[in-house]
Amino acid sequence: MALLEIFDPKAPPKPIGIDLGTTNSLVAFVQNERPQAIADCDQDFLVPSVVNYGPKGEVLVGRLAVARAALEPRDTIVSVKRFMGRGANDAETRRLGPYEFVPAKAGESNVVRFRVRGRELTPVEVSADILRALKRRAEDELTNIGGVVITVPAYFDDAQRQATKDAGRLAGLDVLRLLNEPTAAALAYGLEKKKNGLFCVYDLGGGTFDVTILLLEDGVFQVKSTGGDSALGGDDMDRLVAEEVLNVRGGSPTEIRAALDMARQMKHGLTDASEVVVEDTRLTRERFDALIQPLLDRTGIACRRALKDAGIKPEQLDGVILVGGSTRVPAVRAYVQKVFGKEPLADIDPEQVVAMGAAVQADLLAGDAQDDVLLLDVLPLSLGIEVGGGIVDKILPRNTTIPTGARATYTTQEDKQTGFEIHVVQGERELVQDCRSLARFTLKGIPPMAAGMAKLEVELKVDADGLLAVHAKELVTGIEQTVEVKPSYGLDDEAVEKMLLDALDHGEEDLLARRIAEERVEAHRIVAATKKALDTDAALLGDGERPKIEAAIRAAEDAAQGTEPHRMHSAIEALDLASKEFATRRMNRAIARAFEGRKVDDVATEVG
Amino acid sequence: MNPFAVLGLEPSFDVDLASIEKTHRELSRTLHPDRYVGAGAAERRMALGKAVEVNEAWRAVRDPVRRAEALFELANVPVGERVEPKPTTALLMDMMEQREALAEAKAARDMGRVNALARTIEERMAATERALSEGFRRGATAPLVQTLGELRFYRRFLDEVSAIEDEIAHGAA
Repeated sequence: MALLEIFDPKAPPKPIGIDLGTTNSLVAFVQNERPQAIADCDQDFLVPSVVNYGPKGEVLVGRLAVARAALEPRDTIVSVKRFMGRGANDAETRRLGPYEFVPAKAGESNVVRFRVRGRELTPVEVSADILRALKRRAEDELTNIGGVVITVPAYFDDAQRQATKDAGRLAGLDVLRLLNEPTAAALAYGLEKKKNGLFCVYDLGGGTFDVTILLLEDGVFQVKSTGGDSALGGDDMDRLVAEEVLNVRGGSPTEIRAALDMARQMKHGLTDASEVVVEDTRLTRERFDALIQPLLDRTGIACRRALKDAGIKPEQLDGVILVGGSTRVPAVRAYVQKVFGKEPLADIDPEQVVAMGAAVQADLLAGDAQDDVLLLDVLPLSLGIEVGGGIVDKILPRNTTIPTGARATYTTQEDKQTGFEIHVVQGERELVQDCRSLARFTLKGIPPMAAGMAKLEVELKVDADGLLAVHAKELVTGIEQTVEVKPSYGLDDEAVEKMLLDALDHGEEDLLARRIAEERVEAHRIVAATKKALDTDAALLGDGERPKIEAAIRAAEDAAQGTEPHRMHSAIEALDLASKEFATRRMNRAIARAFEGRKVDDVATEVG
Repeated sequence: MNPFAVLGLEPSFDVDLASIEKTHRELSRTLHPDRYVGAGAAERRMALGKAVEVNEAWRAVRDPVRRAEALFELANVPVGERVEPKPTTALLMDMMEQREALAEAKAARDMGRVNALARTIEERMAATERALSEGFRRGATAPLVQTLGELRFYRRFLDEVSAIEDEIAHGAA
């Protein structure tokens, strides 16, 4: 018998996981230790990643937007994920759909801007609209949602990750972490419980194919290699059926659409039957399998390359996970089994598995039981600075564990040079022109000196989500200048703030209410953490420290009852300050224990 | 920063990477930002700073070029390509020839030749590392800087090889 859930206004906020996909998106949460996706009232889990903008500023997301796509192609943004972190002037941007783009003005960030109904929209804003729809769905189900984990492809670069995080912020979500999609799939299967293993994630979606090799060692996940094809998926299967079986090779958009829909219907039918008949056209599974064989072979090439990059053979794999709706096709499963020599894991719905894994991670991050699993991510591409002659000085090599940072010093090349141009690039090649530009800025105001006298220190920092921050200072004069970095393909903080205000203008959000909610979440978080620390580590408290911290806790709790965000903010800072020394002592002990644990381990190995 | 101290090690060019990797993992487990999601801002910043330090130290210790640099810095020998002695003409000429050969192999998309060139340089790199290891053990620190310069050349060559591998592999699809 199912237990009835009683509405509880004081229920703790529930962490959620979001799969922000190219074709479909969905949201999931963990209940009774089991992840589950959230459906709409029609029992539909998937929200098509399609957004339609109406003439009066109304925004439709999902199936309602899909219904308008054919009528209003320029006002309906499909597969916005492909545009995330891209440049407006990239050749590829133009190929991706029937949209009208706003050309980047000189001196402005080179970010893609769609012109839709007289408005300029960035991919970040369109993605935020999808996230808002998912947020509403989660709120309908859970009332009060907490921290959010959003998944991104393992190969996403800094600009694409930053864009995803900005979209979350814009949608009013408390983004705890970005999580790599393949790692999420592994978490959904509970593979972290095995502690050790090598896994392959084969992800064939509607329009993209990704393959990833994951290493799990002592409960720590690492991405060993990734590969794939950004223009390969289930849509190609539909097109082949439309062209070869239905003989539709052109015609009006409506005719093509109808043929593709019919092809898809046939494909779905063949998942459980060996033959289908739709509108008097017959298709056997045998014929279908032969048609899609070239597509499968293309995935095979990418799989073998990913194995080679990771330096492993198929027989070393402990498991293969299927992700993406197209892996329901029996021929795909058979092919995967052939390539890797083992039966793939497929008991979790391949379209829900990534969101479910994100929910597991959100639950782990929000909860107390964090001791078993840790996701250690690495930089997917090297980061460097342009030096003389268009050469890249590689500062952080790829596969460096993050979070991380590095500094490098440079000097002036000309007498009386008063500005430094700093250009940060991403990529493996030696020449700047072969790498991708991430950020470019000028450090100004250096007093004139002889060439080679000024010393500029550039610091790159990458956080646990793989997001980059750049700082520069001139060492000789001691002038520490804060430099605003304008990302080459992204949005700066100012632009994101402006979008938040624009959303306000559109009557979508109440900014004050949001600030209050954000500060309140933070206050509750810190109060709970500090109380727990006082309980478990009382022995580390100094003389008179407890009453001081407890007073600060009460002040923060008081402030959180109120409605003044500034007061909450100062109370949080005061509590932070009051417990700082205590926190330092706790951290030092934790480090000492990590070393000790290691030594105990060594002894055990030697004895054993 | 002394990367050896951060990881609880005595400074040395000879390191047991498998054991240090385990130490790094234990420290990451303790300090990773994911462990501090619920903590206050000051504590989060502190943990992040330490996690960054541990990862920087691990990166320095596991890479022979950076490990040697750290040892020179601890011995107060300045390093960096601007202050180190110029490479010998023989090395420069030799590397130029190797680079030309690599460029030709790349143009011909001859992966066999690219791999053969890489193997030659890998062997020389291994020999250079052995020389560094012996030198540091004898305590002859300052004269070893030239050897470090050699290692840098080999490293850059092998970086270019891996970039070419990527390019040819991805272009072939």
